[in-house]
Amino acid sequence: MPGIKLRFDRYKLLEIFAPVAGFLASIVVLLIIVIVVGESPGEALVAIYKFSLSSSAKVATILSVSIPLFFAGIAVAFAFQSGVFNIGAEGQYYFGGLIGAMAGIYLHLPAFIHIPVVILFSMAGGALWALIPAILKVTKNVHEVITTIMFNSIALALVNYLVNGPLSGLGQGKSLEPQTAKIQSTALFGKLNGFFRMLGWNVPDYVYLDYSLIVAVITGFIVWFVLFRMRHGFEIRAIGISLDVSRYSGMKVKQLQLSAFVISGALSGLIGLQEIFAIRGYYTYGIASGLGFDGIAIALIGKNSPLGVVFASLLFAFLKQAGYGLQFYTSVPNSVIYVITGLMILFIVVINEIVAAYIRTLRKKEAV
Amino acid sequence: MSETLLEMRKITKRFPGVLANDRISFDLLRGEVHALVGENGAGKTTLMKILYGLYSPDSGSISIKGGKLSIKNPKEAINSGIGMVHQHFMLIPPFTVLENIIIGEETQKFGILNEEKPAEKIRGLMEKNGLIVDINTKVEDIPVGIQQRVEILKILYRGAEILVFDEPTAVLTPQEAEELFKTFRQLTAQGKGIIFISHKLDEVLEIADRITVIRKGQVVKTLDGNEASKSLIAELMVGKPVLLEVKRPDVSPGRVILEVRNLDLKDYRKIAVLNDVSFTVHSGEVYGIAGVEGNGQTELISVIAEAAPIEHGDILLDGESVVNWDVRKRRDAGISHIPEDRHKYGLLLPFTLAENLTLGMHHKKPFVNSFQIINRKKIQEHARRVISIFDIRTPSELTPALALSGGNQQKVIVARELSAEPKLLLAAQPTRGVDIGATEFIHNQLMEAKKEGRAILLVSADLDEVMSLSDRIGVMYKGKIIKEFTREETTKEEIGFYMMGEKEHARN
Ligand SMILES: Nc1ncnc2c1ncn2[C@@H]1O[C@H](COP(=O)(O)OP(=O)(O)OP(=O)(O)O)[C@@H](O)[C@H]1O
Ligand SMILES: [Mg+2]
Repeated sequence: MPGIKLRFDRYKLLEIFAPVAGFLASIVVLLIIVIVVGESPGEALVAIYKFSLSSSAKVATILSVSIPLFFAGIAVAFAFQSGVFNIGAEGQYYFGGLIGAMAGIYLHLPAFIHIPVVILFSMAGGALWALIPAILKVTKNVHEVITTIMFNSIALALVNYLVNGPLSGLGQGKSLEPQTAKIQSTALFGKLNGFFRMLGWNVPDYVYLDYSLIVAVITGFIVWFVLFRMRHGFEIRAIGISLDVSRYSGMKVKQLQLSAFVISGALSGLIGLQEIFAIRGYYTYGIASGLGFDGIAIALIGKNSPLGVVFASLLFAFLKQAGYGLQFYTSVPNSVIYVITGLMILFIVVINEIVAAYIRTLRKKEAV
Repeated sequence: MSETLLEMRKITKRFPGVLANDRISFDLLRGEVHALVGENGAGKTTLMKILYGLYSPDSGSISIKGGKLSIKNPKEAINSGIGMVHQHFMLIPPFTVLENIIIGEETQKFGILNEEKPAEKIRGLMEKNGLIVDINTKVEDIPVGIQQRVEILKILYRGAEILVFDEPTAVLTPQEAEELFKTFRQLTAQGKGIIFISHKLDEVLEIADRITVIRKGQVVKTLDGNEASKSLIAELMVGKPVLLEVKRPDVSPGRVILEVRNLDLKDYRKIAVLNDVSFTVHSGEVYGIAGVEGNGQTELISVIAEAAPIEHGDILLDGESVVNWDVRKRRDAGISHIPEDRHKYGLLLPFTLAENLTLGMHHKKPFVNSFQIINRKKIQEHARRVISIFDIRTPSELTPALALSGGNQQKVIVARELSAEPKLLLAAQPTRGVDIGATEFIHNQLMEAKKEGRAILLVSADLDEVMSLSDRIGVMYKGKIIKEFTREETTKEEIGFYMMGEKEHARN
């Protein structure tokens, strides 16, 4: 009925408005902080603009930065859909990335096979790292928040040890940063910059719009399709709503939890692709950290839907760039910038939740 | 003429696609029980939620003791002396009765909870109203009937004068319902007013001073309790005469479909809940289990449907033991189940009706193809068909299940389980919360299923329902089937006698 459509759209609008409102509020807070530390708010805004949206190169950078964020968000969102709180994306991509890198270093394959192989190995590594917490959850009822957090620390320590010790590639490279041997050229991700330039988008060479962007697009589509068009995804969403109802209707609840958890781990394994195979070409435990936690906020803002995660990860990428902008163009101290980006994220999440709660009460009042 | 406690005038409330309340006027006098009856989806709960501040009306006014006011939320409703006992209790299970009653109204000194004064006040209320509860036990440890008392105490503690009960007896045994009515009488004697919603017309006739019938969101008529009759109310509700009887087809039972052998089950405290239970259900037969709730019926159904582990014994479906099968295998082999607690086990509330109507068959063709991709067209077609057959009142098959009235949600579950074309149907309280027209319809559907040769195991707290549908009846008492009858050879009185375990005592 037309009435229903209308209502749904109105709430959709409100939902979309939520992160925007959070964003605007966080800008206001940012300006206040900037004033407090004695800088000019106008200059700060200009700095942010210069570093984020001022040119096609800057916009391309945001897109580039959003790729690993997208993987993090979709990985966490997938688990959230099933009611599993996978806080362990962090550890899963550290480990997954290492396994992928191993395949890139030690396997000798032609490029058209080698690249898919390193992607699959990264996923397998991430899945493996999620497997033990997943098994502990479904067999022993150990809460995943605790196990995955512990597994984050274990992964970090393990990777640190391996890169410094058995897998160290020092001696080959010139850097003093502990790292593995170089990944073979057949496994390195090429760039799409040329392709975009052909389309008329002037993406300079220093921006990484590499094969991981293709992987992201494909992954996003597959995840959407599985969740909303396939039986398995239907069951995963069902257990996220009610374990009892799902069990009564014959779903194998434990298996579903296990699979959602492991798939989430596999998706986490993709977070490191860009940095390892496109940017660095080797593995180090110094790959960007904290993305797994960003993923939680991104999933939250994106309402666990693939499309929502796309927007949320772009927003996050923008925030990160804005932070760099302040760092470069103003004398706002570094530590304050971390505070600011942290606060911005907090604001967006909080306002998002407030609006969600408001929509819930509206729904209660008017229903549907 | 006693004082008017409450007056609702021309209340209108529209939901997307439905006019739930259409200029409803309703009033409540001091010291009366005013019953609100109507078909599923007629708008009773909506009207009460408006009164309690959970929904805001599109138009209309509410006045209490002559003073007009607008009620924006439950807090304001409570402050205006309105209390509501919801059908799904709003208690916190790990808290004690006392804590549950005083929650939000705690008296404290320097941040330290004072439990003495409230306890005294509660004891006073308990005595005055015949609502005896041990206030120091945890809510999770007390049965449903007693939990309801806690709910009532909770609203009395807050000084309610207008008490709303939305289908309070749906979850009660007949004995507990009698207790509740005693409490009603005590409350009205103190000058409180009670709004009572129920689909059980016998109860309505027993307790109500006035009866307001609504149909499709409009008031049809307000009757005096003593000028009403069951058939009159039913006719006003539905808009045409209702038969109120089931046509039992003449089917001779076929082969054994379900055989339960020497079933033993202990609960987590190692107390026996099923004790050497054996019986069979044949194809084309309805086997009814009679018994006071809590004598093992729930557990019996759950070991057959839900694959709960058993201590000892065997369950055979069509001659094959299902004990080691999981739920999916049992379902695929032809066991359907209408669960007793529809909210907890029956529906994925935020999902659409279409999705809910295929739940449990959603993994089979034609709802998925060989690649496990969902065929949404087929699911929606199926839903539209079932919705029209079962007369489920909904704007569309894409409406989320949570937007349906309670009785219509129940119809969704019954429709789904029957449309799976089971060999064996486990029907636990199949007509709980369903209006008389729909009850009649569901009964006839069950008889239809019987005609098609399905075996039906029926559990119901309503003895009349068990008597009118069953071919054979087993009486359960303390986890045992203590007596089995064919329908012809027994009477309601005799079954009632066994239900109390009397014969067992006599024998010993
Ligand atoms: N939250 C909601 N959103 C949309 N529609 C709703 C909502 N609540 C109720 N409705 C619709 O309003 C109508 C009246 O529902 P209501 O729950 O008041 O019925 P009821 O008389 O209490 O029925 P029952 O006897 O089955 O409990 C129904 O058609 C129902 O589908
Ligand atoms: Mg209702």
